[in-house]
Amino acid sequence: MRLIDIVIGSLRRRKGRMAFIIIGLAVGVGTVVALRSLTATMEQEIGAQLDQYGANIVIVPKASSQELSYGGVTLSAATFDLRQLTDEDISRIKSIKYANRLSLIAPKLLGAVDIDGQKFLLSGAQLDQEVRMKQWWQVVGRVPDKADELLLGYEAAQKLGVIEAVKSADHDSMLHSDHTSVRQPELKLLRTELTLGGEQFRVVGVIRETGAQDDQMIFAGLPTAQRVLHKPGELSLIEVSALCQGCPIDDIVAQLSAALPEAKVSALQQAVRARLQTVERLSRFSTALSVVMLLIGFVMVFITMMNSVVERTREVGVLRALGFRKSHIVRIFMIEAALISLLGGLLGWAVGALSGVLSAPYFTETGAGAKPSLALALAALAAAVIVGVASSLYPAIKAAKLDPTEALRYY
Amino acid sequence: MSFITIENVTKTYQPNGVASRATVLRGVSAEIEEGEFVALMGPSGSGKTTLLTIIGAMSQPTEGRVVIDEVDVYDLSEERRADFRREYLGFVFQQHHLLPYLTALENVMLPLVITKLNAKEKRTKAQLALERMGLGDKFDRLPNQLSGGEQGRVAIARALVNEPPLLLADEPTGNLDSKTGDEIIGVLRALNEQGQTILMVTHNPEAAAATHRVLEIQDGILLSESAEPGCHAGQSLMEEVCAD
Ligand SMILES: Nc1ncnc2c1ncn2[C@@H]1O[C@H](COP(=O)(O)OP(=O)(O)OP(=O)(O)O)[C@@H](O)[C@H]1O
Ligand SMILES: [Mg+2]
Repeated sequence: MRLIDIVIGSLRRRKGRMAFIIIGLAVGVGTVVALRSLTATMEQEIGAQLDQYGANIVIVPKASSQELSYGGVTLSAATFDLRQLTDEDISRIKSIKYANRLSLIAPKLLGAVDIDGQKFLLSGAQLDQEVRMKQWWQVVGRVPDKADELLLGYEAAQKLGVIEAVKSADHDSMLHSDHTSVRQPELKLLRTELTLGGEQFRVVGVIRETGAQDDQMIFAGLPTAQRVLHKPGELSLIEVSALCQGCPIDDIVAQLSAALPEAKVSALQQAVRARLQTVERLSRFSTALSVVMLLIGFVMVFITMMNSVVERTREVGVLRALGFRKSHIVRIFMIEAALISLLGGLLGWAVGALSGVLSAPYFTETGAGAKPSLALALAALAAAVIVGVASSLYPAIKAAKLDPTEALRYY
Repeated sequence: MSFITIENVTKTYQPNGVASRATVLRGVSAEIEEGEFVALMGPSGSGKTTLLTIIGAMSQPTEGRVVIDEVDVYDLSEERRADFRREYLGFVFQQHHLLPYLTALENVMLPLVITKLNAKEKRTKAQLALERMGLGDKFDRLPNQLSGGEQGRVAIARALVNEPPLLLADEPTGNLDSKTGDEIIGVLRALNEQGQTILMVTHNPEAAAATHRVLEIQDGILLSESAEPGCHAGQSLMEEVCAD
């Protein structure tokens, strides 16, 4: 028999009161845990979405004349007086201090090409990456992976007579959509062979109408574009995706500018900032609520322990008469508080984690609940125990200070 | 020097918010030898419990000192005084004060909780103490599953489990019927015969008759002692009042 056995005995006896406080603590801890895990999921999700939704830093050569523009970014035409971006700049980007914060580096070469006497803008890029960045793209067919393959924007494909929109869905040479869930007009494929700069190419995919400039463009692999445009190793722009939680965008921009002194580095931050702010506000709210919950927990445990001290005055007198030191009495009450809050914390964490997972579909887009994290569990338990122990310190000392003879007379 | 020496002990209470002081003990002196069984008698409110708790190292006297086994009890720090109680004293209270949520065995183990004995030694000691009180078959009963007399014996077992040199009992028969009261007195007598020093507060002349001598207190003053040697009627104690 140890001090803790006395505590366990008394807890067993006073089940009702203990259940009350444990449930109270559990509700507090549970709310905080659920909220925390939800905001964590949302932060992750928004971070991931932003990473996918596109580059937030664009690097272009410093240019004077303006001829082509892409995605709102003005590109210089053949401006030979200026130093162009090249493949080597990629490795310079990868050497900046915050390189590990860069989730995507997408180099591009843009240039005008002639097909069948019509002018088109050809974009050379790492197409698999491009497709991941432009989540809104719906590619019918597939993404080119060979040097002689092309991907066409919707209008470009129509102008070149590659496709024709039809209503019926019973043709053999249909390209079947990847996104079968959305019923969209089937695209009827008329031709796949194109001649570009004297070379033969095959169209392997068409991007459905996006309403953006992409519709008029032709996409090819970067080396292909560099060959066709006779600009080996050259790049028109480099898109860099650096969005992650709390990324120091300004520092990254500064480091990139330093690494590429002849290029113009600009961050497309507005959308990013707005989204981040929303999450940060949510996160602050959940922090504030956590503090309130902890305060409520503190007061609850405090009141319960004060009552417990009063209820057990005589018991304290008996133990003191039997030779228990004041410090033993303090320990008994502290062990009791720690046990109660540990139980409350455990229960609260379980409830919170579960409701975080269950409610995730209503608050997040992917619906994936936060994986119960060990760190959150430990934090919840630690917070519960710290609150429990801290709030019981005064009642415990009060109990120890009871005059043993008075305590024995207490009714 | 005697085993217990009480020297000129005075106790005044100053109840909260009351200007006047209540003097409960006025210069009490007494001595108790090892192996004695002493009764402390007196009218209600005369200061018996107060004196017992002062001897029991629980309540600082306003003046005077208590020396037990050559230790000046109130020279000790408060925590050391708690240790002293654990080592030297066993208390039996009128209401027994068993912890209701612990079994008989656990109640008896309470004083051992704060000793360095291992779990098995604690259990064995407590079992022996209970068996000595004739409760070998009631280890796992909760106090409310025991009769008043049995509760009293559990309380005595708890007081004795540490083998303290001095047993202090405050009206151990106070709220028992006379038969179970006699049962408890019989137990104390037997313990005393095995050498246990006992100081017992009682209102009951029959109980007092079982002791070696009676200290009488009135209005906080100890009256002349009345020794009643030879009044140990043994078995017949329950039936006939000690009358010699
Ligand atoms: N904490 C206290 N504050 C003020 N007065 C007290 C206090 N404790 C005891 N007294 C007073 O001291 C006097 C003696 O009390 P005590 O309990 O020693 O009497 P007692 O002889 O044990 O009486 P009883 O036989 O009824 O138990 C009483 O008048 C009581 O009111
Ligand atoms: Mg009394």
